[in-house]
Amino acid sequence: MYEQRSERNVISLKNLVKSYEGFTLGPLDLEVEPGYVVAIVGPNGSGKSTLFRMMIGLSQPDSGEIEIFGDRYPEGEVEIKRRIGYVPDISTGHDEMTAADLGSFVSHWYPKWNEELYANLLRRFEINAKKRFDKLSKGMQRRLTFTLAVARNPDLLLLDEPTDSVDPFARRIMLEEISTFLEAGERTVLFATHVMDEVRRVADYVAFLDGGHFLGFYEKDALLEQWKTLWVYQVPENGIPGLVSVENGTPTRIVTNSPEAAMTALEEQSIEVVRSGPLDLEEILAHLMRGTPEDKETVGRT
Amino acid sequence: MSANGEAARVPIRISMDDPEPMYRQIEAQLKDFILSGQLPAGTRLPSVRGLAKELACSVITTRRAYQDLENEGFLRTRQGMGTVVAEIGEEAMKLHRREPVVIALREAAEAGRRAGYSGTELQRMFERVLEERSAGVRAAE
Repeated sequence: MYEQRSERNVISLKNLVKSYEGFTLGPLDLEVEPGYVVAIVGPNGSGKSTLFRMMIGLSQPDSGEIEIFGDRYPEGEVEIKRRIGYVPDISTGHDEMTAADLGSFVSHWYPKWNEELYANLLRRFEINAKKRFDKLSKGMQRRLTFTLAVARNPDLLLLDEPTDSVDPFARRIMLEEISTFLEAGERTVLFATHVMDEVRRVADYVAFLDGGHFLGFYEKDALLEQWKTLWVYQVPENGIPGLVSVENGTPTRIVTNSPEAAMTALEEQSIEVVRSGPLDLEEILAHLMRGTPEDKETVGRT
Repeated sequence: MSANGEAARVPIRISMDDPEPMYRQIEAQLKDFILSGQLPAGTRLPSVRGLAKELACSVITTRRAYQDLENEGFLRTRQGMGTVVAEIGEEAMKLHRREPVVIALREAAEAGRRAGYSGTELQRMFERVLEERSAGVRAAE
């Protein structure tokens, strides 16, 4: 099945391993189909940036395979990079250049460069095109780096915490631009973040990375639909399906990742559910990180 | 650049407190808009990505909703044209309009039976509800 599907995948990682400074990232497996937004979510030091650097060819894995658009490094490097817009975790490397300089410099290397879009986004983000990069604030630098990535008109955006240090207004524009980018065809976005609100708003899939390992690859809406909070006045003695946690109180708060079966079981025990509601992604992530193996089985996509 | 410039804005709302899955909520609301004539045949709907953005849900959800409605004959998708509201025959329209009413009445009958009311009592109750309602409507006018 793997072999067949890799044809269509934009990103295909197999058994990817990279060790550094007493930390091992991987082995990682990931397959991403075109047309989707995948959020890579994980705490600091979980290996997100290293993963991104490997996908853009800036860092070599110790072992395993990386395929982007069906091409591999190093043979496919030029072809792959032409089709990627990358925002690294730290924007550096062109301090003395202005936004205007950077535009003409980058456009030279990317045949699909969209000058009109570049000009538009500079305006929308209120970036001073005549100011040297190193004289821009951190937030402005992020906006410019993002703009440079999108104006390449790529098929894949790799965004490593693009909204870091960006104010809420510009952040909103960025999220909107990500949606606009996706509307223009079968394009793909992989973005790292720990802002759950961004995940909620733009992601189709969520991959949780923790301690160098994926905790799972989830359909975001399914995740939100499968984890629910139920409030009851009577604690079920016979247990209920998908039980994740019970916080005793009046009423008692129950978290389940199998809400339908749980509701049925409560009904059978004649326990009334006073209220039910969603769980926010933060809490879902916390439960996943604490990790019971069956959670991954039932919620995860294989 | 976007091919969806004139797509209709659809005031759909999804609630995470609702136990119904999101795609079902979208389906139900779109169906209501179509059956009530608020979205007439030929109306262009937002793209799956556009709708997903508006509702802060994933394209997997919006695509599933569109696909289901397409299978039921409410929507039609053409290559390069996007998704539009399909022409629904008068007969089918009547049937669809009737369906939720029948379901609601069935539920009411069931609730009445559970509470121990007879058929005649329920009929009388229903008539009273209708009277109240028409009196209420008149008062509002």
